[in-house]
Amino acid sequence: MSDDSEARLAAWLDGALSPEEAAAFEAELERDPALAAKAAEWQANDAFIAGALRPLGEVPLDDAMLARLGLAETPAEARATAPPATAPAVAANDNPPWWRRHALPLGGAIAASLVAALLLTLPRAAQRDGLSIALDTTPSLKQARLADGRVIEPTLTLRAADGRWCREFRSSGETSLACRGDKGWTVEATAKGEGPARGAEIGLAGGADTAALDAAYRRIGAGDPVGADREAALIAGEWQAR
Amino acid sequence: MRQRAGIMRRAGRYGGVRMAAASASEAEFRNAVIAALPRLRRFCQGLAGSAQDGDDLMQSTVERALARADQFEAGTRIDSWMFRIAQNLRIDAARATQRRGHQVPIDDMPDAMGEDGRATVENRSDLAAAQRALQAVPEDQRAAFLLVVVEGMSYREAAEVLEVPLGTIMSRLARARGRIEQAIGRGPGAMQ
Repeated sequence: MSDDSEARLAAWLDGALSPEEAAAFEAELERDPALAAKAAEWQANDAFIAGALRPLGEVPLDDAMLARLGLAETPAEARATAPPATAPAVAANDNPPWWRRHALPLGGAIAASLVAALLLTLPRAAQRDGLSIALDTTPSLKQARLADGRVIEPTLTLRAADGRWCREFRSSGETSLACRGDKGWTVEATAKGEGPARGAEIGLAGGADTAALDAAYRRIGAGDPVGADREAALIAGEWQAR
Repeated sequence: MRQRAGIMRRAGRYGGVRMAAASASEAEFRNAVIAALPRLRRFCQGLAGSAQDGDDLMQSTVERALARADQFEAGTRIDSWMFRIAQNLRIDAARATQRRGHQVPIDDMPDAMGEDGRATVENRSDLAAAQRALQAVPEDQRAAFLLVVVEGMSYREAAEVLEVPLGTIMSRLARARGRIEQAIGRGPGAMQ
């Protein structure tokens, strides 16, 4: 079979021939059983490969992949569709990175409820440091008292680009970011200031020294904060969910 | 916690966005990139031959697209633009490999063996069979085949993506199909 007839066969399969050329080629197909057989085979091969690859192009990418690509959604867009109750007190044109405007609306009732978990009584305490246990087990906006008397309060949970889970937490007038590794939670950065003032709706307060945290968030490639349900599932599943 | 739900809401992330306005904002550009990602991923995996290599190529493509957002011509297809970036990255990588003389770092060997093992397990799946057939096709022909047959582009659109004449697309499609015919028709495990 000539290169020319194969090229015309390809173009015919792809609808790239003019009506006249197509009609002429179809007449040729009728006269030439070998060409017709090849046309049927190529058509079947095309359908098989296109069909096998089709699902790949129809599935949206998951959050972990979007985070890896640096395309995780910022909460500014999410908040645009949020109910008015969560409207932030941040100027719209301010446009800081989301971790400085995550706008946790801390109600007084929540702030007042100190969950003083005595973490040394937990079974795994022997193997893990108190901070790791607290970050493993304490939901955001609940407080945990460590064995050394320190009180920490996780404020949000998110995923780093490398797949580690990370949490921001407050303690003793400082805000820290820690990420979970095999041996426990490692503090990636700490900044002065407690983030959102109690009862306020603004993210880390203007007075807080956030440069260190900002740099850490960028360095780890932070994804969006996960919702309460996801966080609860992570705690229940000992952070093994991928 | 409940009041934070609004922050997490993801609305309209995958709403198909086509660039049209000349002064599209950064957010619109980013959304358009995201909307085109599934098809870019499919193209990259077909080009690279595996999910892992394809996703690596997709990542490099997105990085370059975001870095060169200013070079994107508003009003043109962003998927075509990203397909072209991916193809150029493949060409660059092939040139680099040629210069290095096809050396395989020893550290890569265990991974390569692991992938072989997985490929054996996946042998029966249609995707693995399709990938095997595609890998029998030279890269330039494979790119043309993927754009036209899998992505449904016209010869003209594919010619623009690959920056070659229309006639080249036609001959590449014919040669690609000839190779695929040989690959699929060969051996006892052949399809059909």
